[in-house]
Amino acid sequence: MSLFRREDPHSLAAPYALDALEPPERIRFERHMKDCDRCTAEVRALSEDAVRLAWSTAAPPPAAMRDRVMLAVRTTPQDPAPQGASHASARTRATQLPPHVWGAQPPPRQRRRIPLFVPFATATAAAALVVASLFAVQANRTQDRLTAEQDRSREIAHVLAAPDARAGSGRDGRGRTIGVIASATEGSAVVTLGGYGAPAGGRVHQLWLMRPGAQPRSLGLFASDTPLVATGLGASATSLAVTVEPAGGSPQPTTQPIVQLALKSVGFGE
Amino acid sequence: MLRMPRARGQARCGLGEGDRVEADELLLLVAGGDQKAFEELYGLVSGPVFGLVRRVVRDPAQSEEVAQEVLLELWRSAAKFDPGRGSAMSWVLTLAHRRAVDRVRSARAAGEREQREALRANQPAFDQVTEEVEAGLEREWVRRCLDRLTVLQRQSVTLAYYEGYTYREVAEQLSLPLGTVKTRMRDGLTRMRECLGGVA
Ligand SMILES: [Zn+2]
Repeated sequence: MSLFRREDPHSLAAPYALDALEPPERIRFERHMKDCDRCTAEVRALSEDAVRLAWSTAAPPPAAMRDRVMLAVRTTPQDPAPQGASHASARTRATQLPPHVWGAQPPPRQRRRIPLFVPFATATAAAALVVASLFAVQANRTQDRLTAEQDRSREIAHVLAAPDARAGSGRDGRGRTIGVIASATEGSAVVTLGGYGAPAGGRVHQLWLMRPGAQPRSLGLFASDTPLVATGLGASATSLAVTVEPAGGSPQPTTQPIVQLALKSVGFGE
Repeated sequence: MLRMPRARGQARCGLGEGDRVEADELLLLVAGGDQKAFEELYGLVSGPVFGLVRRVVRDPAQSEEVAQEVLLELWRSAAKFDPGRGSAMSWVLTLAHRRAVDRVRSARAAGEREQREALRANQPAFDQVTEEVEAGLEREWVRRCLDRLTVLQRQSVTLAYYEGYTYREVAEQLSLPLGTVKTRMRDGLTRMRECLGGVA
């Protein structure tokens, strides 16, 4: 915009610190700051002043907000550290970076929005627990892996967000668990295994849908401890079963289930 | 350093120097994927974040939504925090303010012009600060310091920061040249700093 050029670009530090620039102007001014120490220093100081205005507005948030945020956190992978920095060494990194100005580079918008905050009435603390174990955040994820995790997070969030989402779990004789959060109306479920580890010899854990009078249907393979999202579950679904299968899985179960979970408690088969 | 014991993840409103340092440390832990640290950090920042967003956005449901997004973004982007650039609390509140302003502007663009008219009819924005739930010391100081600004400084600062108007819109509302508004904003903020004693 020509207006900007006619103005003194150095004069925008205060409006910038107050978030009072229009987005194109904001971007231009951020570019200007890269080459202008004076504006950079000024924005740094003025931004701290502006933040003082924020402190005076503090107010207790609704209690339910905390539960929603915590649940979202448990199912949301973190973005990798900026280039040249390693996740594992946040502290070291912090001291190594040149102290350039706070405010000049606000956190970029996320690449994609993950709609985690649809209200969910019945996803309970149990559901949160089931999900909690799954997303132990790992350092050094590849971008592919991260993208896949974000996709899965979104699917999980979708199941959690269903108004009829319910959680159930089963435990075998050795204390190992299978957990499920399912929505009968969505016909989908998030399934997790706890304590099983990876089967020996490159074999895999395969999840099956059991229905009366029908062959088991494969719902997919578990990859280590990460949850599996199963979709297309009809109302007639009666239970889930897990078997150990050769690498790549099988068209039909070739071994006895190691664990089975009835779906009635989560609203199916009624 | 003195630290008051408190329940993990409880939202609070007041902020002390210790909290700010603690927030820095917690955010670094969060960057490493520490969910427990995030719970503690939530206890420190959720009140300021929610209060600020609600101040700017006004609508309770939308405020909650924006505050949630900010807090989740805090989790997701924690690795981008660099203590060399400023405190964690500043980082979070700057992020919250940016998101709140974006929201209120798009709501306005979608046709909420009446609010603008109401503002033109003029209620100095800072008055609402006093209506907030808890009158903490910080709040009281900020209010007093705002009172000490000139009318134009105060209006320039509060219309932008608390109401989310751009400086062009502020200039229009106050019938002032753009240059004057920019100067008033700068002087207003600087005087606030002097008044508050630079305890940043
Ligand atoms: Zn400059």
